[in-house]
Amino acid sequence: MTASLTVQLLAIAALAVINIFYKGLAPAVLGDREFSPRVTAVLIAFGPALLAGLLVVEVLGAGWRDIDATVLPGLAAVAALRWRGVNPLLCIVAGVALTVAARSLV
Amino acid sequence: MTESDAGWRAGLRLGVGLGAATFALALSFGAFAVTAGWHPLVVVLMSAMVLSGSAQFALVTAMTGAGGAITGVAAAALANARFIPMSVATAASLHGGWLRRGIEGQTIVDASWVSAQRPDGSFDREKLFGATFVQWPAWILGTAAGAYLVPSPETVHAIGLDVVFPGFFLVLLIDALREHRRLLAIAAAAAVLGAVGVLWLPAGAALLLASAAAGIELVRRPGGDPA
Repeated sequence: MTASLTVQLLAIAALAVINIFYKGLAPAVLGDREFSPRVTAVLIAFGPALLAGLLVVEVLGAGWRDIDATVLPGLAAVAALRWRGVNPLLCIVAGVALTVAARSLV
Repeated sequence: MTESDAGWRAGLRLGVGLGAATFALALSFGAFAVTAGWHPLVVVLMSAMVLSGSAQFALVTAMTGAGGAITGVAAAALANARFIPMSVATAASLHGGWLRRGIEGQTIVDASWVSAQRPDGSFDREKLFGATFVQWPAWILGTAAGAYLVPSPETVHAIGLDVVFPGFFLVLLIDALREHRRLLAIAAAAAVLGAVGVLWLPAGAALLLASAAAGIELVRRPGGDPA
């Protein structure tokens, strides 16, 4: 059963406020404070760690319910082409094309 | 980093590519939310105010299932908790007093954040702004297209649109690893943690677990990347 319009709008507003705090509180409080080299190294590593996590979570889905082997050839092509320095948009187009091809075979 | 890789122009150029991926994901979100019973206008409003796919999917999923608004907001808030360390990392690169920095921090979204990070850990704030300013309308327009056209999941699947978003994350990851090859082990550890985590945990918690792999740098011996 869908929640009422009022409840939906309140939920959206609450989430928007939470996001504002998430993104704005640290910059507001920390200012231009610098971190130690080790902490800086962790912050540099956070990006690739986050991206790898986002990729895996997106592809697998909660409880691994979204696993779809047909995306693997396309994603492999994206990775291989980008590692060789191919334009990002072309990498994506190739990935989509390979995925569609894989799905047509299944 | 060359001049063409930095600043507003670089961010706007980058944002165009990211915006295409964002539009594709937003299309599927808009269709998903309307199929779940949400009014299209409310769905578009959500995208305009929240600008986060993971949180929005989590909110709609939780509020459509057995959970209510509190469960939904909690799930969405967990999904976005990663923005806390991201904003900590960005803080020193933003300008102005506390209010201006808080406002500038609102431009933090995943792809813009990763792309704006310099090798020394600082951030090109103009590149961050440019990339986000293109993605925001793309997110809203994609949501509107999905909410009003409501393409079926089968259609999205058949034309491979579901590969676009993870594809762009993969491009960003490859770019980051080419810059810092020593982080390959951390990315691999994060992938394993994320895969194991998402088996039992909500997506947001699994993301936090995966991100914790960055903590390896606290105990690792400092070293440069191989030549």
